Amino acid sequence: MPEDDPRLILLLALADDELVIGHRHSEWTGWAPHLEEDLAFSSIAQDEIAHARVLLELAEPLAGRGVDELALGRSPGEYRHAVICERPNGHWGYTVARQYLYDTADDVRLAALEGSSDADLAAAVKTIRLEERYHVEHARIWFRRLAEGPVQAREHLSEGLEQAVPEALALFEELPGEEALLADGVLPRSMSDLLSTWLVGLGADLESVSLDYVLSRHKRVGELVPTSSGEAEEGSTLEVPGLERRGDRWVAVGGFAGAGGRRGKHTEDFDELWEEMTMLYRKVPGATW
Amino acid sequence: MTPIAAADLRDRVRRALERVMDPEIPTASIVDLGMVERVQVRDDLVEVDLLPTFVGCPAKDVIGEDAEAAVREVSGDREVRMRFVFDPPWTTDRITEKGKAALREYGISPHWEGGPPDRGAVVVPLLAKPAGIPCPYCGSDRTVTESSFGPTPCRAAHFCRACRNAFEGFKVK
Repeated sequence: MPEDDPRLILLLALADDELVIGHRHSEWTGWAPHLEEDLAFSSIAQDEIAHARVLLELAEPLAGRGVDELALGRSPGEYRHAVICERPNGHWGYTVARQYLYDTADDVRLAALEGSSDADLAAAVKTIRLEERYHVEHARIWFRRLAEGPVQAREHLSEGLEQAVPEALALFEELPGEEALLADGVLPRSMSDLLSTWLVGLGADLESVSLDYVLSRHKRVGELVPTSSGEAEEGSTLEVPGLERRGDRWVAVGGFAGAGGRRGKHTEDFDELWEEMTMLYRKVPGATW
Repeated sequence: MTPIAAADLRDRVRRALERVMDPEIPTASIVDLGMVERVQVRDDLVEVDLLPTFVGCPAKDVIGEDAEAAVREVSGDREVRMRFVFDPPWTTDRITEKGKAALREYGISPHWEGGPPDRGAVVVPLLAKPAGIPCPYCGSDRTVTESSFGPTPCRAAHFCRACRNAFEGFKVK
């Protein structure tokens, strides 16, 4: 496989994000807090894995490997997804935080890729984005639902964000060969430029539910909505390393947590996921159904 | 055997595709759902471009196979090339009036004015937002969207507060 083809790396990064987070979402099937969420996460998983297939079909001729082989026949170090996608679902607060961060970030890059000079990619992305709207809607509903309390729900969301935000930044880690992609317009905007756009929306959303303190590094109490389950306690606020408010905009400071995903560097969480995801493919080569 | 004229064959292929039903909505053909983008008859080849409704539609592969088989039946000696394309993207407004009637007949609301809210719109947790579509059973407007995620990728789950029936609707795209 021509490992250093920038177009292939871009397609694999996009496809692997969808494939791996889709696999995590599918783990809620049968276990979500209520039936509607069971359906929602199952349906989102189905969409994401289907999007991965479309993107891998575009990667096929560049990779010289078939879709199934690309999806299931690579070694863990050949996957290009961001580390946040491989993390276990954890509690509901983390699940919501991660889905919100991932799908809002995905929307920013897909919006840019609709204008890609690669006509096949642009067309696929337009179709994919029409479906991703429902994922963003779902994420926003739950984000707001938890943020508006009761306090326990807000705390779960805050914990989730604290854990997920630093790794979500790495969704915009610079791609190997990104310069070439920018030069020929396959990638219309740089990853760092897309990150700035995403942070504007993220900051606005957090402030709209008075969660701005989450990112401000200033520990304050008293911004939580009082509810029947009680007031927020000292220490229930948090800070997220890596983000800072400067003037009227949020900026990323320092390195990304969990960087390296785009170069195939993953954690033990992915080894476990990969084992399960590829088991049938490895045990029964060529299986179809 | 006399070769079939291209124009005649094109019509025959169209008519054949009108008999290919969505296996998950057996009343609606793929033509009525707006999935047939292009039929091209060449000297030795019939090319059909289909648009997937939702990319993750589990019926997509079956639809492709059924469509190919239906076209082969009428295409004589010509080769058949069936493919799914993404340009233009399939959208809900491609569904014909006949297609809407077919959806209604199967109990799926063909109305989709209650699409996803724009960014910045007030989101009412946990959905239960006004569906903006009449109940297919009693006609009441007191309907809410319970979830954008229904039994298939293309359908949302709604509820009528007047007659207290759950019903499904095609997702706007």
